[in-house]
Order: sequence, then structure tokens, then C-alpha cells
Amino acid sequence: MDTAIRTVDLHKNFGQVKALDGLDLEVSTGEIHGFLGPNGAGKTTTLRILLGLARASSGSASVLGLHPWADAVELHRRVASVPGDVALWPNLSGGEAIDLLFRLRGGTTDSPVYRQRKQRLCDVFDFDPTKRGRAYSKGNRQKVALIAALVTDAELYLFDEPTSGLDPLMESVFTAEIHRIVQENGSSVLLSSHILSEVEHLASRVSIIRSGRIVDGGTLDSLRHLTRTEISFTRDGVDMDTLATAPQVHDLSLDGDRVKFGADSDRVHEVLPLLGALGVKGLLVAPPSLEELFLHHYGDSIAAPAETADGGPHSHRHRHLTTRTGA
Amino acid sequence: MDALWVLYLQRLRRDRWQLTSWVLSIGVLAWFAVEAIATTFGNQAARAEILQLATATPAILVLRGLARGPELGAFTFFEIYTFLALLAGLMNTFLAVRHTRAEEESGRAELVFATAAGRWVPLAATVLHGAVANVLVAGATAIGFLGGGLDPAGSIVAGLATGAAGFAFLGVGLLAGRFFSTSRGANGISAALVMLAYLLRGFGDATGQISGDGLTVTAAWPSWLSPIGWGQQTFAYTGNRLWPLLLPLVVGAGCVAVVGIITARRDVGTSLLAGRAGPAEAAPTLRGPFSLALRLQRGAIIGWCIGGLAMGVLTGSLGNAIQSAITTNPQVTAALRAMVEAQGTSMTQLLIAALFEVSGILAAACGLQAVLRLRQEEVAGTAGLVLSEPVSRMRWLRSFLELGAVSVVLVMAFTAVGAWFSLLLAGDSSGAVADIWQTALNQLPAALIYLSLPAAVFVLWPRATIAVGWALLGLGVVFGVYGGMLGFDRTLRDLSPFTHSPVTTGTGTDWSGGFWMLGITAVLTVFALAAVRRREVGAA
Ligand SMILES: Nc1ncnc2c1ncn2[C@@H]1O[C@H](COP(=O)(O)OP(=O)(O)OP(=O)(O)O)[C@@H](O)[C@H]1O
Ligand SMILES: [Mg+2]
Repeated sequence: MDTAIRTVDLHKNFGQVKALDGLDLEVSTGEIHGFLGPNGAGKTTTLRILLGLARASSGSASVLGLHPWADAVELHRRVASVPGDVALWPNLSGGEAIDLLFRLRGGTTDSPVYRQRKQRLCDVFDFDPTKRGRAYSKGNRQKVALIAALVTDAELYLFDEPTSGLDPLMESVFTAEIHRIVQENGSSVLLSSHILSEVEHLASRVSIIRSGRIVDGGTLDSLRHLTRTEISFTRDGVDMDTLATAPQVHDLSLDGDRVKFGADSDRVHEVLPLLGALGVKGLLVAPPSLEELFLHHYGDSIAAPAETADGGPHSHRHRHLTTRTGA
Repeated sequence: MDALWVLYLQRLRRDRWQLTSWVLSIGVLAWFAVEAIATTFGNQAARAEILQLATATPAILVLRGLARGPELGAFTFFEIYTFLALLAGLMNTFLAVRHTRAEEESGRAELVFATAAGRWVPLAATVLHGAVANVLVAGATAIGFLGGGLDPAGSIVAGLATGAAGFAFLGVGLLAGRFFSTSRGANGISAALVMLAYLLRGFGDATGQISGDGLTVTAAWPSWLSPIGWGQQTFAYTGNRLWPLLLPLVVGAGCVAVVGIITARRDVGTSLLAGRAGPAEAAPTLRGPFSLALRLQRGAIIGWCIGGLAMGVLTGSLGNAIQSAITTNPQVTAALRAMVEAQGTSMTQLLIAALFEVSGILAAACGLQAVLRLRQEEVAGTAGLVLSEPVSRMRWLRSFLELGAVSVVLVMAFTAVGAWFSLLLAGDSSGAVADIWQTALNQLPAALIYLSLPAAVFVLWPRATIAVGWALLGLGVVFGVYGGMLGFDRTLRDLSPFTHSPVTTGTGTDWSGGFWMLGITAVLTVFALAAVRRREVGAA
């Protein structure tokens, strides 16, 4: 099986609210897949459906070849997960909760392998397992769920905003642990986030969800190609007319003594000969930052600055659509 | 001042339905009681006769109150006041915990604390809210009695006695909220204290000094330890004394003051009985959904079992007194049956039937809590953790139902054991002692209904689980246990499972009602188990 997760035209309605609106998501076996999207995009809803905690209104989902709703118990033997909002039992210590969750999977916590793993994870996450559930801070609650998931050998890990509440040091510990499980076991990972940098360090591929649909996806590099590279050089009496008429050049402008324009990232090589012929000086080529890429897909208000730099909302929306149908 | 007003209105708004139903229930109960008593025991002579029987039968005094003569008002006060005060007490403790500890637990309190409201205003708003609620309770009670045709002065005193007792428990609830770190713990302990107050005065009333004519009782000292006992000391309708009400008011205010001092010294969200550190590893017994449920409910089950044990022990403690009153006079037992919703041939049997019926309610409440826990787990989000592991929804639900069944049996077992020991110690060797086990068994079918019914609600209408669960139990108690006294007609009383509990008489036990209830439980349970498979986790 080379796909760990596949959903086709997945819909989920909460009354009038369409939380998922035709979601097509595919995660291959052995990959770390980033699931990005703004608040309320439907990430948690998707993960809950994939876990069989919620049922899709229509469409199909297959996880490790199983039907998540009908085969939930069988699926849970092979999947480990961390919910978006971790709640603990107030009277159980963190260590007890971790052991209990492991035993619910049929595991025995007496084995030296388990003990050693749990101990190691508690150490690297700097986690005190003897406190009671209610005494943990948000980050420490998160650690309970992370340790409980990472202590098992699962074929697939589903993480809903796994690092929310963790400090930067712990985030890097988490990143290292994820790389470890993928390398050691060839597990697949789907991790939702709205923090780009986290995904950037981990994921080999990403899907961007917005309003319940996948609006973009692919490897990070391929996504970069879909946006514009910013190019600038010193004006210095260069004749700008040739550039203004070139089809690859967008939003030509003057900023002090520098000329600026944007070029489609996958056509930068076509622009360079023009610049060479013009003999420009002080050339600067800035590849698009992922932030820009990300903002591009986010809500209109957030995206506003990126869009003006890029030729106005309309041309943008258009690109949006072509990207999607192309993907 | 503005902040106080805003927070007060917020509390009022949040509680508008809950408070309305508590206050209305209390008022309506008062009204019904007068009406029913005027119908059943219409004339002074009949009431005098009943009173004489009652004062000779401590079991009745425990469940009723302090006899102060056969006049209609005093007789009504004797019959219903302690129950009204019990309700007012529960209303207050739940209210207090809901707006303090529960708020801190959810983290909402911290949001408010961070605003200009600070740390005092939320407390002041809760006290104000509770105080107003008690004024409403006092008003509703007085109007209920007045509406039934009792005299105004006595009715107002009776109303004030209910409200004042309620205020004392408001303080108790607030204090419990400071001592316990979870709202469940605080609710549990303060509700237990309300029950204790009820039983203390029951014990004091039952062991009090009976006047020569057998029409009045002077309470023994244990009654003076209870806010409900203080309310009784007003002698509404006969004495109309207001000074005893100073006691509950002072206790309530004292608790509020202590809470204020604690509030000044501690951080938001902390409790005095702070949780100790726990083990780094789970005990081998904590391994599945059932053991998890047991772990979560352990404290509650122990509490209810102690309640059951107390009811059992009470049976024997009163046994001595009963020995002397054992009678075969059918007229006496017939009259008693009109007062205690129980049947039996001997006084001991009556006593066992009456007190075990109360234990049956405790058992039902204990089982109900286990099922309601399902919903609490779901809302808290911990259900999701379990159900993301290889545990089916059906197994999860089943585990809590099994635990509920175990707790029901445990509470009744503790009652029976307590009664058995105490009756033996009291030297009672009548055949009734042998009936203890049978009588305990008799209470199980009704209690099991309170597992299966809320489980079905949990599957079908998750959001309403907790409210409907408690409401069903409350209605069951009012219709089934107090329905006769309140003069409800047969059809209404038949709605309550408790009405159908098998009754052991000299000639045996009729279990037809019991089997019906077991059948209903089986059907509801199978339905809930089947239907939960189709239900999402975390549904509204
Ligand atoms: N139980 C529910 N009832 C009604 N609406 C819901 C429910 N759960 C989710 N929604 C709605 O579905 C949409 C998707 O929510 P979801 O929680 O999946 O978003 P998300 O991408 O996880 O957001 P976030 O980044 O904030 O966690 C939102 O509009 C949300 O309001
Ligand atoms: Mg989410």
C-alpha cells in the first residue's frame, strides 16, 4: 500500500456550516505530510474523521486501507494520535495517563523496552510524570499526549497542531522525534498546523486547506515555484521599456533608485538574458518566502499586503484557481 | 460596583432556568403538601392521632420532622419542611460551587480575574446571587403555604426558615469550593454535608423528648447541630420564633468571611487541599475503560456507600425504640402506611422498608453519576483520548454501565450490612432482620432504571444528559417517594420507578414490578449499546 490516507470529495456539515467541502487529501506511506490552513479551515474536523471519531457527511476516506468509521477499533491499533486540545483526567498523574493509554492498545507496560522508551521521552521532553492532570500547564498536557503517541510503534501518526503550547526548545525535540520515528519505522505522519516554520522543518509534502477544501499541495519546492520571485537592480539609466513589454515581468516599479519587478518563479531563467542584455548592476533576486506562499492562501485580510505586492487580488485569485486545477 | 452588577447579571442569566425550576419546585411542593394534608388528614382529631403514632415511631420522625401539635399549619411544617430545606440546601451548594470552583477549573475565572473585576467582585457577585436566590426560595415557600390556605405569619416564618437554612449551605458550598480542587469533589462533599445535616436533625428529632400527650417533641441535641434543625426551631405556625434563624445566617456569613480570608491569601485556581503528587507509573489494575471508570468514580462511590451505611446503621440505632413500639395492631400500621411510603407487617419491617427506600435513592444517584460521567468525559475531551485507542464506543459505554451497576449493588450492600449489624447489636431478633437482604435486593430494579435511562439519553440527546438525568431522578423521588404524602394521583405516582419497587410483606415479595423494570432496563441498555455505535464522539 503506497497511500496511507486518501480522502475523496469528503464533506462534513455541522448544520448550515460546511466544515469540509469536498476535501481530497492524499498522504503517501512513509512521508511526513504537513496539513496547513487558517483557523476554522477544517483541519481538526478532517483529523477527527480520519480517526473515526466523527463521521463524514459524504465522500470517502480510507486510512491504512481501512474505513475509519466502520473499522475504528482495528484502525486505532495501527494509528497513534494527538488531539488538538489535550485534556487530561484531573486525578490521574501524567505517567498514569501515558501507561493507561498504552495498555488500552493492548501493550504491557512492564516490558523493559517500554519503560526505557517512556523514560527517554520523559527525559528529552523534560517532563515530570508524577504531577496530577489538573496541575499541568498547557504545554505539559501536550507533552503527555505526545509521549503517549511517540512511545508506541504506529504505522501512522496523526498530529493536530502538535507543538501548540510547546516552547521552541521542545519544538525542536519534537521535530527530532518525528524524524526518528519515520526513519526507524517508516511510519507515515500527518500533522496539522498553522505555523509554517514547523511544517517547513518536517514535512516533505504539504496540503493547504482553506474553507474545507484543499487549495494547494505538493512538495515545498514545487509550491515555491508557483509564486513570484522578486527581482531588483540599480536604475542607473537603464532603459526600462524592454522590460515593461516582456510577458514574464509583472508590476514593474521604481523604488528610490532601484527598479523592482516580480517574475513567475518558474520563468526567472527567461528574464535573466534580458537583464544581461541591459547590463544591469546591483542585481538582487529574492525567491518567494514560504510566508508569502502561505499568506497567499490565507484569509483576504491577512493576504492583503502580499497581494498588492503581487498585482492585485484579482490576478491573484485567478492564479489560485489555475494552481488548483493544475495540481 | 459596575463589575459587580455585570457579574451578578451574568450569573443570573446563566442560572435563569435552573434557578427558576428549583424555586418553583420548592414553592409548588409546599403548596401541594398543604393541599394533600388538608385532604388526607382533614380534621384536627385525625391529625392528632397520626401525630401520636408518628412520635411513637422514630423512623417517621427521621423522614419528617419535629412534631409541634396537630394544628394544620404546624402539621404541614412537620411533614414537609425538612424536605424543602434539603432541596434548598442542595440548590445552594450546587450554585456556590458552579460559580466558584467550577469556574476556576474551566479557567474562566482567570479571565474574569484578569479584568477590573479582580478577585473580590466575583465572590461578592456569587454571594449576592445566592442570597437573592434564597430570598426567592423563602418567598416561594411562603407563597406556597399561603396558597394552600395556611396563616400568613406562620407561612412567612416557614419561608424564612427555608431560605435561612439555604443561606447556611451557600456558605458551606463556597467553603467546599475553596478546599477542594475539583468541582466534583466540592459538589460531592457539600451535598454530603447537606445530607448529614438532614440526618443529624433526623436523629435528634427521633431521639427527642416526647410530650405526655404525644403531640409535640423537643428535639435532642443533634438537631441543634444542623441548619435544617435550626429552621425547625422556629416552630412555625405555633411559636413563630425568628431568633433561631440567626444561627444559619451567622454560619452562612461566617463561611463567607472565611472564604474571603482564604481568597485574600491564595492564587486564583488553587485550593487548600492541593493535589499531592501522583505515581509515575499506573498501578497494574488501571488497564481498561472499566478500571478507568472505577478510578474516576471511586471517591463518589465511597461517599454514596457511606451514605448507605449510615441509613443502615440508623435502622438499628432506632431499633431499640421500635422494639417497645412493636405492634400487630393493623389500624396503626395502616395509618403509618399513609405516612411512610412503605408496607410491612411489623414496625421493624416498616422502618427497614422506609429507610432502605431512601438508600435505594442513594444507590440510584450513585449509579446515575457513573453514567453521567460519560458525558463529562466527553465534554472534557478525555473521552476522545480513550476512543482514539482500540476501544469501541460500545465497550466504553458498557464499562460505565457496568460500573454503575456495581455501585448500585455496593450502596445497597452497605445499607444491608449496616442495618444487619446495628439491628443485631440493638438486640432485635424478629423475622424482619432476615428480610434485610431481600429488601435491599428489592431496591435494585428501580436504581438500575437510572443507569439505562440516562444512557439512552446520552446516546440520543447528549447535551441534555446531565440535566435530564438529575431531573428524572428528582421527579422519580418526588412522585414515587413523596407522591403519596403530596396527594399526587396514581397515574403520576406510577411514572416513578420507585413506585414499582418490590415490597416485602409478611406473605412474601411481589416482584412483578421489579421484573418489568428489569425488562425495561434490558431494552434500554441494548438500545443504548447498539445506538452508540452510530454516534459521533463529542456530539452536541
Ligand atoms: N461540533 C461542531 N459544531 C459546529 N461547527 C463546528 C463543529 N466543529 C467544527 N465546526 C466548524 O467547522 C469549521 C472547521 O473547524 P475545525 O475545528 O476543523 O478547524 P481547524 O482548521 O482545526 O481550526 P483551528 O486552526 O482553529 O484549530 C469551523 O468553521 C468550525 O466552526
Ligand atoms: Mg483545530
